[in-house]
Amino acid sequence: MTSDKGKALMKVELAKPFIKAAVDVLSMMAMITPKPGKPYVKKGKTAVGDVTGLVGITGDMNGTISITFKKSCAVTIVKNMLGDDVQDILQDVQDAVGEITNMISGQARAGLVEQGLTFSGSTPSVIMGDNHSISHMASTPIMAIPFTSEAGEFTIEFSFE
Amino acid sequence: MSSLTGFRDQSFLDKISILNEVSMGKDIADLDELLDLFKNPIGDTSVDYMVVSALNGVLSSDEKSAVDLLDDDNEKIQVLCIRLCGEFKFKTATPFLLSLADKTEDPDLLFEVLVTLSKIGGDESVSLFRSNITNADDLVASMCIEVVGTFRDEESLGFLSDIVTRNNEDANYEVCDLTTWKAVEALTSIGSAASLSFIVDNLHHRNPTVRRVVTDCLTDLGAAAVPYLQKVITPDAEKDDMILAANVLGFIGDKSGLEVLMDAIDKKYSTDSSVNYAIYEAIGNIGTMQGVVSLIDGLEVDDELIILAVLTGLDRQVNSGVIKKMTEMIGQGGSQAGKIIRAVVTAKALNIFAGLYNEGKIGRFMMNAVVGSKDPEVRVAFREKLAEIGSEEATADIARLPEMEESGGKRALAVDDSKSMLALYRSILTSNGYEPSIAENGQEAYSFVEQGDEFDVVITDMNMPVMDGMELVSKLRLTDGFEEIPIIMVTTESETSQMELARKTGVTDFITKPFTPDQLKAKIAEYVS
Repeated sequence: MTSDKGKALMKVELAKPFIKAAVDVLSMMAMITPKPGKPYVKKGKTAVGDVTGLVGITGDMNGTISITFKKSCAVTIVKNMLGDDVQDILQDVQDAVGEITNMISGQARAGLVEQGLTFSGSTPSVIMGDNHSISHMASTPIMAIPFTSEAGEFTIEFSFE
Repeated sequence: MSSLTGFRDQSFLDKISILNEVSMGKDIADLDELLDLFKNPIGDTSVDYMVVSALNGVLSSDEKSAVDLLDDDNEKIQVLCIRLCGEFKFKTATPFLLSLADKTEDPDLLFEVLVTLSKIGGDESVSLFRSNITNADDLVASMCIEVVGTFRDEESLGFLSDIVTRNNEDANYEVCDLTTWKAVEALTSIGSAASLSFIVDNLHHRNPTVRRVVTDCLTDLGAAAVPYLQKVITPDAEKDDMILAANVLGFIGDKSGLEVLMDAIDKKYSTDSSVNYAIYEAIGNIGTMQGVVSLIDGLEVDDELIILAVLTGLDRQVNSGVIKKMTEMIGQGGSQAGKIIRAVVTAKALNIFAGLYNEGKIGRFMMNAVVGSKDPEVRVAFREKLAEIGSEEATADIARLPEMEESGGKRALAVDDSKSMLALYRSILTSNGYEPSIAENGQEAYSFVEQGDEFDVVITDMNMPVMDGMELVSKLRLTDGFEEIPIIMVTTESETSQMELARKTGVTDFITKPFTPDQLKAKIAEYVS
């Protein structure tokens, strides 16, 4: 039965806390209201955006989670977070996306602990560049949740093995 | 009296140590005080967090209290108890949770309830999961699909197959829905005759990701999938279905699949060369003695591509019997012998080469074919093999294979998940003056581009694991320097439904399998001068 095999362990219930955390963190920190769209499945590593925060998760399960923003969306978020204090937009976007990814990962993991699952997260890395590639750890299909918001679009991707 | 009386007035350190004791003690007498602390937090994150753990600890030892609190007006307490009932599999929570799932209109709460019920298990909740397969929230639906799969609920079959079928319709096939992935997995888990037949029918789903998921699920299922795949390998089956089924039989690698494949060859189910190619390739992947016999028969066919697939398979399981048989066949001479010798070189069948090397004239013919190859990788591979053989003759032969000078010519990237096809591309491209780079999937191909390699033409298969041709093309078109370069996609005739999508993605032109080397050369020449 496939459910005994690795890839079937990618349970939707694990994704839910991350989605909730993303909505919470972004609405709190960046004052935007993200709305999740229809989830889909993709193969390959192509990120559908320009700035990605990527975090590795280890523990009861192993995998990677990424959050990829369109450039304009990332910039709006940074401006909302830092106000007029934006110095070096590239550096600030990198920092802010890293920080947001870290907060989402932390809050989601705290939620998972309540379900009796323990995970630790790596320090997020941030990849910038138009149409870049991101490397999810697992070779299993990747679950993607697209979001829309007044600042623009972003996508959260999950890959667990 | 609870040890928590007067808790709020204690110092920080005392608070921590009291909560530690409460957590360990799991005494239900502490419950009311803990609930009060939970509803009206102290405001210190570390203390409040310990309150949650203590509450979890106390309630985990008292099923009745945890179940009673499911009805609490405080939403946070309710959610905490829902999760707790799941974690500790409190069966008495099921009736209340079922009615809560019926009543609630909050998808987040419904999700929590469903997760807990899935952990508790029990047949009484199956119908709830079944009825939520079609929930408008895809995450709720996907979660329920996972569960009916675990329950192997045959009554869900209709709902699940509808999801997969809907994703195949004209308006919906471009993206693989999360629910489709989960439905294919659940149908595989259900494992009934009807569900598995349905899965096999979807080998040729129009969405490449769905096809991949179907292939993976059938491969994981292993020998149990063989009888269903066998139904596709029949004289009047669709050509593409036969190819895909043969591929999966090869991935599964079970002996029972071998009989199906050998039957197809013996009874000549198909005259189509790409079908037979797929069948021989699968036989090679299964790799048993019995398969070797079929493979050797395959050396007698006319089609060079098939001979290539056969040799790729044979090279992995070469033995003295194989060498003896091949010596006989090549010894008879004629055009077939020439084809086999060329194919040994093109397929880089080094083990076969080593076996035949000392067979007098045959060894010499083969060596001439190696020397004649313009493919630098072929030369490098055979040089290494000759060094391994190490005889005086081999050392002399190495000298006949000088290091290739840099071609400085045009460069081509060929992408295909079939090793034999890649060998064929190498051979065609090098003989056409191209310096080839080859990759087994789109991701590997794109890594060349990321390293800064440049190409004059890209030839790619459509269906590949990890990253398929379509995704590769869309990525290339967004990459500096690759916006305009010719991309030729290799398809089978019946993939025409995909061609429109592929053209939109940025494919320059198509070539249909099977093709002769000259046809491919001509196609390339149309775009590269």
